[in-house]
Amino acid sequence: MAERVFHREREFTKAYKQHMHDHIAIREAACLRAQYPGALGPIEPGDLFAGRVRPAAVGFSPDEWGQTAFGYYHLPDRFREVLQRPDLSPEDRAEIEEMLEFWSRENTSSKVRARYSPEMAKVMPSDNWMNEPGMVFPLYRLCGAYPNYGKLVTLGLPGLRREVEQARDRARQTGGDAELFTGMLIALDVLADACQHYADQALELANSADPERRRELGAMADILLKLKTEAPGTFREAIQLMWIYSIVADVRNYGRMDVYLGDFLAADLDSGRLTEAEALRLLQSLWQLMADRNTRVHGRVIIGGKGRPNEANADRFAILAMEASRTVLEIEPQLSLRFYRGMNPALMEKALDVIGEGRTYPILYNDDVNIPAVEHAFELSQEEAEQYVPFGCGEYIINHRSFGTPSGVINLLKALEVTLHNGIDPTTGKLVGLQLGGLESFATFDELFAAYKQQVEYLVDFMAQQEEIEYQVAGETMANLYLSMLYDDCMERGKGMFAGGVRYLGGTLETYGNTNTADSLTAIKQLVYEEGRISPKELLAALDSDFEGYEHIRELLLAAPKYGNDDPAADGMAVKVHEHICHTVRDQRKKTNLHSYLVVIINNSANTLMGRWTAASADGRKARVSMANGNNPTGGMDKKGVTAMLNSLVKLDPSIHAGAVQNMKFSPAMFSTHRDKLKALLQAYFDNGGAQAMITVVSRGDLEAAMQEPEKYQHIFVRVGGFSARFVELDRDVQLEILSRTLY
Amino acid sequence: MQGMIFVIQRASLHDGPGIRTTVFLKGCPLRCQWCHNPESWSFEPEVFYNHDGTTKLVGKLVSVEEVMAEVLADRAYYASSGGGATLSGGEPLAQSAFTLALLKECKAQGLHTCVETCGHAAPERFQAVLPYVDLFLYDYKATGPDHRRYTGVSQELILANLDALYKAGAKIILRCPLVPGINDSSEHLRAIARLEREYPELLAIEIMAYHNLGNDKAKRLRRKPALPGIANPPQSTVQAWLDVLAELGCRKVRIG
Ligand code: SF4
Repeated sequence: MAERVFHREREFTKAYKQHMHDHIAIREAACLRAQYPGALGPIEPGDLFAGRVRPAAVGFSPDEWGQTAFGYYHLPDRFREVLQRPDLSPEDRAEIEEMLEFWSRENTSSKVRARYSPEMAKVMPSDNWMNEPGMVFPLYRLCGAYPNYGKLVTLGLPGLRREVEQARDRARQTGGDAELFTGMLIALDVLADACQHYADQALELANSADPERRRELGAMADILLKLKTEAPGTFREAIQLMWIYSIVADVRNYGRMDVYLGDFLAADLDSGRLTEAEALRLLQSLWQLMADRNTRVHGRVIIGGKGRPNEANADRFAILAMEASRTVLEIEPQLSLRFYRGMNPALMEKALDVIGEGRTYPILYNDDVNIPAVEHAFELSQEEAEQYVPFGCGEYIINHRSFGTPSGVINLLKALEVTLHNGIDPTTGKLVGLQLGGLESFATFDELFAAYKQQVEYLVDFMAQQEEIEYQVAGETMANLYLSMLYDDCMERGKGMFAGGVRYLGGTLETYGNTNTADSLTAIKQLVYEEGRISPKELLAALDSDFEGYEHIRELLLAAPKYGNDDPAADGMAVKVHEHICHTVRDQRKKTNLHSYLVVIINNSANTLMGRWTAASADGRKARVSMANGNNPTGGMDKKGVTAMLNSLVKLDPSIHAGAVQNMKFSPAMFSTHRDKLKALLQAYFDNGGAQAMITVVSRGDLEAAMQEPEKYQHIFVRVGGFSARFVELDRDVQLEILSRTLY
Repeated sequence: MQGMIFVIQRASLHDGPGIRTTVFLKGCPLRCQWCHNPESWSFEPEVFYNHDGTTKLVGKLVSVEEVMAEVLADRAYYASSGGGATLSGGEPLAQSAFTLALLKECKAQGLHTCVETCGHAAPERFQAVLPYVDLFLYDYKATGPDHRRYTGVSQELILANLDALYKAGAKIILRCPLVPGINDSSEHLRAIARLEREYPELLAIEIMAYHNLGNDKAKRLRRKPALPGIANPPQSTVQAWLDVLAELGCRKVRIG
């Protein structure tokens, strides 16, 4: 039977309206009831676990849907699409139009924006960070939750239910917020119903399946039905529970999986219930489900590291997880290996095997650096810091104990650009920033740097306030039932996550253009203020014309020292820029109610997208070109080899922010022929203070690209004969020869 | 104390054990026809023409302190990999005072040192550096009259220096550039095998298969390449060399 158009959206809206003025936990529970099982996608052939997503155009999510929606979200594009359908009846059209109008007011992110002060609204005029120029933008989301999966798989649904019931009774006796727990119990029913829904579906599918698949679907149904009334007892059951929870709760990072699944795995293997091969097959299916979910930037699975009570069993799981990542050729999960001196060396060996095959996973995190860094940055005990987990692109939080969504972006290079132009954004001609004089008015470099700092500090104040407002609105709007039941200390305090429940409520600010800003300042300092080879006027003219007719100026700028070459001047400037932004942001904890507010220097495509709206810069970068990625040198500007680049990276203090990504690319030969040297290289980098590494093994495709755009591939070295050379400096025929060799 | 260098290459993996920093000194008394570093010949800075028409100056006068600052920056990598510093060229012994000063400084800092040499320098120079060199990468380029023909100098001095170093207990890896049809004569291969027999303590013999990279560089220095028409040897040729050497009784030959 064909579903009524926007059926799910109408049901959800009806439930919301009906409970609009009820307790937020009750309203949320009613909405979840309406949302599921409609928002569950069907079991696909080959799935060994049930749980796929099928989001509606209106719904509830603790995370984000669409670029600018979280909480009660609506997707205006989907509305517009359906309203364009010619076969839409007038009644349907009227109802959907009314719904669109309703949700445009009632969605959670609009409520955040509505609460901005006039000054905030002026500083952040737009939400459209991808398609408009700007120094700062808000991001509406509450992403990066790591609920206590360990508690979930230990207690199971019935155990969890008992705990919630007890908390409800306590609340009733003490005059607490009993309705919060009533909401949770409904949410648990919804989860149990999802199990039932999928069990029914599995049995339905089994009817027409071949014998082998029938057995698999039967087993799936058995497990789903069992999970309604019992805690998981096997590896497979535990996976099914964590997975269906993460789907229904819409949680997109999967926790310290080796810790909470390691014991299940070991028990099954040791008792002979499961073979290694079967265990691998289960994980491969889970990995595929994660990949198909396509969270874009999340999907983290954490393995390894300190603070694992069941280290030996966890290690067994970790090795299996890496094998799954080696064999399932997908971009999720983002498998992340924490390691420390003294950890079982088999884990790092396996990691290098997998990375060497060009998988880019696992991402490596050095506990020996990160734990003390987290301790300092977040002001926590060592024991708590040991439970740090990177989520999304690389922001750290404390596993099921702290929260720190990145809810704003700042483009430092744009801030410098506006400062150089006396408050004007040269790409629009509009006055957008503080008018501090502009480049021609600064007599010394120190004056310029002070103005840049003032510009940035002014912006950061508003960003921190924005984050605070977002949490306030969230606390007033959503109980976050699924997260609150598994997040310290919501149950004990009897409060929803954002209404005072979570132990450490922090925030993060994504910074972009850090490297280009530093390199621009280095060039200006040297060429304008120290050597006087470029006048302020000339520099502005060159930047404003994107170097057209000023090629000689661009050459001078490009030749100035650059971060990434272990150069004291360039790296020193990078350190100054880094420390300034990190401390400015971190100091906001004193001005707000946030437990912490920290910079994250992460990699995603924002460096490119925001670069498009950023004019030519004094590091020689042309207008609209990508800015450097994360903490890394500008591509092709690290010309002194990998050790120099790594030495530059470790100069930026990791203990004053909540995560920075260090991308590096290696040739396949590094992993095969020079495996020992590669290990030594990484070891020295980590000993020197390297916090993390995201390793790409350079492929044929990279070499081909290098031939097309040599200026971006300065850092690729190749073995030619008895010697090495920089690939892009070779003659074309030499390049072709190297390209023609088989890659091993 | 200053010296003329043309580049310092960090994270170098092929100039001795471990991860190394290789200092390329500028200036060489030989003129090997297959030389892949023709910018290392002259003792003076030279203009190098880039493919895009711009130019750069190759060659820079630097102090021991400047070089050491860069070399020491990667200390942690030497320690973890068993690497160190390598002096190459050109010919490092051609600037022997500078080379000696660098080596002394490296040893004072506890670094492992390599010297890559063509062997053509006054014997006293080798004696002077010997106590500060952990490993010589010593070229053996051609045999008999071929040597003068292809490198510009006869090989007596080179052989004598090799002999003296060996007898003084130096650690040595022999490096043999092989160019198809030029110096890969059976006489030359036999001579290599003879050296292995004669000097049983050699650590290894490395075959450096020809690559025509030098031609392009020569053009960019506005010079005429000496071996314009020679193709890079395919894998089969390299294997044939290895087979012949094995048949001649060589046990320490490997590809460098
Ligand atoms: S000795 Fe080395 S640097 Fe000198 S010419 Fe011969 S190959 Fe070139």
